[in-house]
Amino acid sequence: MNHPGDLLSAYLDGELTSLELGAVIGHVAECAECRVELEGLAGARAAVRGLPVLDVPPGVVPVPEPARAVRRRMPVAAWAASVAAAAAVVLGVLAAGGGPGPAFDLDTLVDHHTARVVVDPGISTVRGPAGSP
Amino acid sequence: MASETVPTWEEVARRYGRTIYNFAYRLTGNPDDAADLVQEVLLRVRKGLHSYTPGSFEGWLWRITRNAFVDEVRRRQRRPTSPLPDDDRIGGSPEPDEALASYRLGEDVQRALLELPYEFREAVVLCDVVGLAYEDIAEAVGVPIGTVRSRIHRGRKMLRELLT
Repeated sequence: MNHPGDLLSAYLDGELTSLELGAVIGHVAECAECRVELEGLAGARAAVRGLPVLDVPPGVVPVPEPARAVRRRMPVAAWAASVAAAAAVVLGVLAAGGGPGPAFDLDTLVDHHTARVVVDPGISTVRGPAGSP
Repeated sequence: MASETVPTWEEVARRYGRTIYNFAYRLTGNPDDAADLVQEVLLRVRKGLHSYTPGSFEGWLWRITRNAFVDEVRRRQRRPTSPLPDDDRIGGSPEPDEALASYRLGEDVQRALLELPYEFREAVVLCDVVGLAYEDIAEAVGVPIGTVRSRIHRGRKMLRELLT
C-alpha cells in the first residue's frame, strides 16, 4: 500500500471501512514516516477537540426559562402535590385574614354606602347619591 | 435525537444554541459575530421547521447553520465601510481582543484555526468542535465524503505545522 494520506485522519475519526482499516493498520505498523504523521495529526485533532466549550452570552438564545422547562416535565404526582400545596396556602391566607376577603362586588359596595347614608345623611350631600334609596 | 420526531423551535434553541455559538465562534474568533449568527440561524430554523421532513435532522440543521454563516460573511464583505461597523459595539460590549483574552487556554489553537483556508477550517470545526460524522458534514457543506475527508486531513496537517 502507498502512504495512506487522508485515510490517516479518517482512521483517527473512526471513519474507515473495515477493508481500509486493515490496510492502514498494516501500513502504519511498517512505516515510520506514517507513524510520525499520525502522531502529528492526532495532536492537531486533540488540540481542537480540547478547546474550551464556551457559554452563549446571556440573552442571545431565547430559550424558555429553566423553571418553565422543568414544570413541563414535572410528573403528575408532583404536579398534584404542588397544586395541593398552593391551595393550602390560599386557604390558610383566607382563614387567617378572617375578613370578607377579596370577593366583594359592586352590589356589596353600594349596600355598604347606602347603610352609611342612612346613619349619616350628610355623606350623600358631600359625595353624591350612591343610588336611589 | 430520533430521526422520526421533529423538534420544536424551543427544543432546537435549547439543545443546539450552545453548539451553534461555538461553531460560529471557532470560525470567526469573534464573540459578537458568533452571537449574531446564533440568532440568525435560530430565525431561519423557526421559518424552516414546518417544511422539515423527518430524516437526518443534524444534516438539515447544520446545512442551515453553515449556509447562514456563509451568507452572513458575504453580506459583511459587501458592506462598503469597515467589516463590522455596528454602533452598539463602541459603547457596551468589550473589544474582541479583550473577550478572547478570557479564553486564553485555547488562544494559540484559535489563532491557528483562523489561519486555515475557510474550507479546511469549516471541515475541521464541524468535525472536531461540533462532532459531526463525515456523512453529516458532507450533507451540511454539500460536497462528497471524499472531499470532506481530504479537507479535514489537510486542515489538520496545516494546524500541526502552525502549532509547532
